[in-house]
Amino acid sequence: MHHPADGTLRRLVDEPAGVADPDREHVGGCPQCLAEVAAAQQDATFAGTALDVALDTDVDAGWQRLSHAAVGGATDRWQTTGRARPWRSRLRSPVVAGAGVLALLTGASAAAAGDWLQIFSAEQVAPVTITQEDLVELPDLSAYGEAEVVERVRIRDVASAASAEKVTGLEAPRVDDLPQGVTGQPAFEVVDKVSGTFTFSAEEARRSAKTQGETLPQPPAGLDDSRFRLEVGPGLAAIWSEERGLPALAVARAVAPTAYSSGVPFATARDYLLSLPGLPENVAAQLRSFSADGTTLPVPVPEDLMTSSATEVDGVDATLLEARDGTMAAVIWVEAGVVTVVAGSVTDDEVLAVARGLG
Amino acid sequence: MNLVQHGEAVPAAGRSSAAPADDHGLTARLAERKDGVALATPRARGAVRVDLEEVFRTTYPRVVGVAARVLGSREEAEDVAQEVFLEFARSSVPVTAAPGWLSVAAAHTALNHLRSSRRRAFREEAAGRGDSSAPDVAETIETLDERRRVRLALGRLPRRQAVALVLRHSGLSYAEVAEALHLSPGSVGTTVRRAEAALRKELNPHAPSS
Repeated sequence: MHHPADGTLRRLVDEPAGVADPDREHVGGCPQCLAEVAAAQQDATFAGTALDVALDTDVDAGWQRLSHAAVGGATDRWQTTGRARPWRSRLRSPVVAGAGVLALLTGASAAAAGDWLQIFSAEQVAPVTITQEDLVELPDLSAYGEAEVVERVRIRDVASAASAEKVTGLEAPRVDDLPQGVTGQPAFEVVDKVSGTFTFSAEEARRSAKTQGETLPQPPAGLDDSRFRLEVGPGLAAIWSEERGLPALAVARAVAPTAYSSGVPFATARDYLLSLPGLPENVAAQLRSFSADGTTLPVPVPEDLMTSSATEVDGVDATLLEARDGTMAAVIWVEAGVVTVVAGSVTDDEVLAVARGLG
Repeated sequence: MNLVQHGEAVPAAGRSSAAPADDHGLTARLAERKDGVALATPRARGAVRVDLEEVFRTTYPRVVGVAARVLGSREEAEDVAQEVFLEFARSSVPVTAAPGWLSVAAAHTALNHLRSSRRRAFREEAAGRGDSSAPDVAETIETLDERRRVRLALGRLPRRQAVALVLRHSGLSYAEVAEALHLSPGSVGTTVRRAEAALRKELNPHAPSS
């Protein structure tokens, strides 16, 4: 008979019961096939060793993370605190990578300095409307240089509002009148300060431009290798869950994002970055329209999924976000350097009532 | 989530237009691809499947294992697993197909993450610097270098071979790999065999040829 196929010989190595009897009988009496099986065995062992990893998977911790971050997507979608997913993951996510770019591009026109210089401190929020096409086009930070996480996201459950306040130094929100259908006591989470640095690389930007068939404009002097640092947090969140454990309402507070430059005049960097190929023109135009004082926190709003509108919370300008399908609403504002988000599977009126009634 | 497939059948047909915002961009980005996209049929926005926890608890270790074999890092594998379950949570993938779908998704997502090689290298160096438990610097460097070489080799394999290899070495049976990748069990053996030979050749070129 013919020699069995390579795949059959390979299966003999680790799943012989799956090989037909005639094939096994043939191999047993065929030196050529036996040699092939031995070689397959060696390669399989080699691959097994190369791919081997020591794992001690914590299912409970994984589930907690997923149920907070993923299952509660409605409350996770627009938060700027980095509460629900690691910064690193967020850097890989176009929305957040985009947000990083947006945050950089709205930095202030600060003068250069030898040391880290604060160039951006969020004092207000403004929606940036982003289409699906924009998201496809919006460059990852890595398209412009090197992103590095300095302080990673650490989310912890804490027992009480008092504990959350002690850890973060922020005032825990108190909600006296919960929306209909939201009951019980909230769970509290805290997240430590998160920071990352970004180093602009002309070479990286040039390569990215080239892949898009574009030519990189000449970077201004001093921009190459200039560094920016972004910080956010610490923060805390009170989360009311429904029966299945999914968040029904969440109120989160965090020290608003700040950005620092290692020295390059930020207006120079911003104007240059806004001119780069890869940034959708309508997004760039929105960013250019922001005030240049570096106090506006851009909130990416996927326009096919959400609508945004201006509102106010106790006299402070705020942005109201509503899912187009009515499944969630959120309001976000910045006051005294602290960004607060109220969100949930509730109506816009309810989310505003909670926001305006926060103790 | 990056669930790009190159030519092979997909675990669940359909293109999501209703992924969560954090994944929305990637979904959109993938939807632009011409070479096949593996995305779960989306559920209504905000809806999360009720069997999620049960599926998660039974499959999470394996999903992390698949990603870890690609990435060589538990931490990053857990990140990938979260991405994969996030997509699954809002999908309509039948529960019986969930283990295979999740494993394939984890393999593809992890392989896609390999593309960010520069960032990865940087983080590895940082991790190496901060690993006070490493018994020996040379050993640490050697381990990191070895992992890097394995990943580079994986990244060079044809995607189907890489996925089949990782799934098989993550404990999926031939039948499970076949079902997940829409291959015949015989083809699984052939694909895995080729991948292993290529991997050995890449990583250990002086070993006797098979």
